[in-house]
Amino acid sequence: MGPFDFAAAAAAASSSSSSSGSAPKHPPDLDGLLAGAGYKVRSSELHHVAQRLERLETAMVNSASHIPHLASDAVHYNPSDLASWVDSMLSELPHSSSLPSGFPDPYPTALGCGWLDPCAPQPHQNVVVPQQQQQQLTVVAALEEDSGIRLVHALMTCAESVQRGDSSLARSLVEEMQALLARVNTSCGIGKVAGYFIDALSRRLLGLGSAPAWTYENEVLYHHFYEACPYLKFAHFTANQAILEAFDGHDCVHVIDFNLMHGLQWPALIQALALRAGGPPLLRLTGIGPPSPDGRDTLRQIGLRLKELARSVNVQFTFRGVVASRLEDVKPWMLPVSPKEAVAVNSIMQLHKLLGSDPNRDPPIGSVLPWIRSLNPKIMTVVEQEASHNQTGFLDRFTEALYYYSTLFDSLEAACPVQPDKALAEMYLQREICNIVCCEGTARLERHEPLDKWRARLGEAGFTPLNLGSNAFKQASMLLTLFSAEGYSVEENEGCLTLGWHSRPLIAASAWQAVPSVVNSPTGVINPNDNNNQL
Amino acid sequence: MAGSNEVNLSESKMVVPLNMWVLISNFKLKYNLLRRPDGTFNRHLAEFLDRKVPANANPVDGIFSFDVIIDRATNLLCRIYRPAFTEEPQPSLSDLEKPVDAEFVPVIVFFHGGSFAHSSTNSAIYDTLCRRLVGICKAIVVSVNYRRAPENRCPCAYDDGWSALKWVSSRSWLQSKIDSKVHIFLAGDSSGGNIVHSVALRAAEAEIEVSGNILLNPMFSGEERTESEKKLDGKYFVGLRDRDWYWRAFLPEGENRDHPACNPFGPRGKSLEGIKFPKSLVVVAGLDLIQDWQLAYAKGLEKAGQKVKLLFLEQATIGFYLLPNNDHFYTVMDEISSFVNPDG
Repeated sequence: MGPFDFAAAAAAASSSSSSSGSAPKHPPDLDGLLAGAGYKVRSSELHHVAQRLERLETAMVNSASHIPHLASDAVHYNPSDLASWVDSMLSELPHSSSLPSGFPDPYPTALGCGWLDPCAPQPHQNVVVPQQQQQQLTVVAALEEDSGIRLVHALMTCAESVQRGDSSLARSLVEEMQALLARVNTSCGIGKVAGYFIDALSRRLLGLGSAPAWTYENEVLYHHFYEACPYLKFAHFTANQAILEAFDGHDCVHVIDFNLMHGLQWPALIQALALRAGGPPLLRLTGIGPPSPDGRDTLRQIGLRLKELARSVNVQFTFRGVVASRLEDVKPWMLPVSPKEAVAVNSIMQLHKLLGSDPNRDPPIGSVLPWIRSLNPKIMTVVEQEASHNQTGFLDRFTEALYYYSTLFDSLEAACPVQPDKALAEMYLQREICNIVCCEGTARLERHEPLDKWRARLGEAGFTPLNLGSNAFKQASMLLTLFSAEGYSVEENEGCLTLGWHSRPLIAASAWQAVPSVVNSPTGVINPNDNNNQL
Repeated sequence: MAGSNEVNLSESKMVVPLNMWVLISNFKLKYNLLRRPDGTFNRHLAEFLDRKVPANANPVDGIFSFDVIIDRATNLLCRIYRPAFTEEPQPSLSDLEKPVDAEFVPVIVFFHGGSFAHSSTNSAIYDTLCRRLVGICKAIVVSVNYRRAPENRCPCAYDDGWSALKWVSSRSWLQSKIDSKVHIFLAGDSSGGNIVHSVALRAAEAEIEVSGNILLNPMFSGEERTESEKKLDGKYFVGLRDRDWYWRAFLPEGENRDHPACNPFGPRGKSLEGIKFPKSLVVVAGLDLIQDWQLAYAKGLEKAGQKVKLLFLEQATIGFYLLPNNDHFYTVMDEISSFVNPDG
């Protein structure tokens, strides 16, 4: 039977009904037309928001001198939540507390507020709403040559035959594609990334699975990927910003890093904490990582290097390494936390590895998220690939990956990083491609899911979003200008930040807080369930 | 409005539906934060606040989109919107540029508005508008992500528009089957409308055929202050001070509003007589303070012997076409649809 998942093939057949691709489910109360413009406002709140806007305008006119402050110093959060945005602006202005005389209080039923009766009822069924769908294929491409197009066509057909279980057709297509490759420019564009996909398909057909990941080699490749392009730097930078803010006012802080690698993220945080007004806190770092194949205690070595750095900037620092091949092998008792310390859990591209499992078991994420909550973290920073590579249907997954990695490779190409960084960075990505295409079950670790799915998953597990604001956005954008290639773009996505190539977001950074068991919402949390009626 | 402490918002409230009022007021207030008195623009905050949507090669309501870099030197990006194929619901990468199947397909090259400084191809409001154009006009829409002011002044936006036009006209897959030609219409709102004029002019001079121009509330002005500007200043979301700011940001340094880019039929304007200029559909909102300039534009075309249809919507404000919950929207969409299809 080979490594094909026939059940998945059947599921895929029914999931490809995209011609009827319809608008996603919004909470029914949202104004559909404003949602189409990117703003989430409840229909029942429309009058209230309008009045707040009016008040804001008056306040802005009356406090014209404060406008520069609003623009450059005030931090803006989640512009999609229009009600909250208006309120936060009002709270920044001095004259907003006094109501203009005779101004009625918001009562949605009274037309005395002066607005037109909202004409015809919103024709929701005709609304074209921008999609936050499970499958979201974007392309940044210019298909110039004929053979490039033929190659892509063959790739699709091959993937489709793999899904159907027609391995002989698939194998002959692989041969055909290898021949086509010879006629296509494989140094860039579609030719380059196609080669990796053909290779991966070939491996799958041979039942080889992806090459075993040798830990040391993987760390080297990771390092070069870090150097070659801004994605990991953006991840570290954005997470550190959020962690720094969360640690404000705490004297004892503890960071738990789900994948220490070479600890590249932490020197910057240590230095930022050293420069903190009022002095640095006591910093504990727990680094999780796989066992070293050659018996060296890599984790400890990295911990020592970080400790040296911390010492040089007068930050009290202790390190603890936790060895685990897989995140799900980590047990809460391995991560003792003290109630006095503020805990930050940091997961850079790790959570998606917990989404796969053997057929009869639940994915490990179901047990990992609760124990993260049990640590009572002040903040959890999550960075994930912004892609839908965990679909059950092979063809869907393959197609999405083809689009995603061609954009990613395109950015590597254009950013012209030095060798050997670029070649090794490409090898790093090639492994991901291989894993997505060749593997199934527990062997398939690269189960990337888009932001919306993570929002739902983390929300269900008892986490609420901590919005990343305009200050983090600005600094991330400025970081990008250090890279010579123009084309990287940071975008704000309802409290999260994404980094992409041209208009295609490729990785998404978000921050979370565990919903406390006590009723009072902690400050700084914008709880989506709040009524936002603060004045 | 200048100098008064009480903001008189009652008029705009009476003429637009509530959610439209919320949307446009929201833009107005946000944009106030972005324009600095010294003429610089808070680009970071602008990008942060702008609501964007990625392209989607999966059809939604029968339309899919994808982005193409058409000029790597300037990183000029276009978003292309197409009706979904009937035989194959999900286009693969190789199908995105599949040759057009119909006898006649209008290709609308669209320039989004934003007074030359705001918005992008992937702004939600414009992505939505382009999708509606595809659906209503049965057209393919190519939305151009032109460079914006003040970082890139005139003529950068026009150059980008011109690059896009050349690219579109040379795509064999966009040719209508009936005559193997690409039938191009230029369309744009606000600053996009202004760009339409300049690109059409360049096309006429270079003898690239453009089948028609669609200008929605196009952005034009001049040194003189017209009646409509004086009467409507600050009344319906827009004031003269912000208009002036945007022109200062877009026009070459030291130039005034009689520059031909701003005032094509003004004292420094170029005569269009005898030029093979496309037919034009000019839509003017009766509550737009710059309507006198827009009407003058239409008149200028007429006097030069060019074919022009003027659609004056008395009670419409700026941005009326962003939401489909008013009559003006449907009136205009119907007009555009007739305009771009044969016998229109």
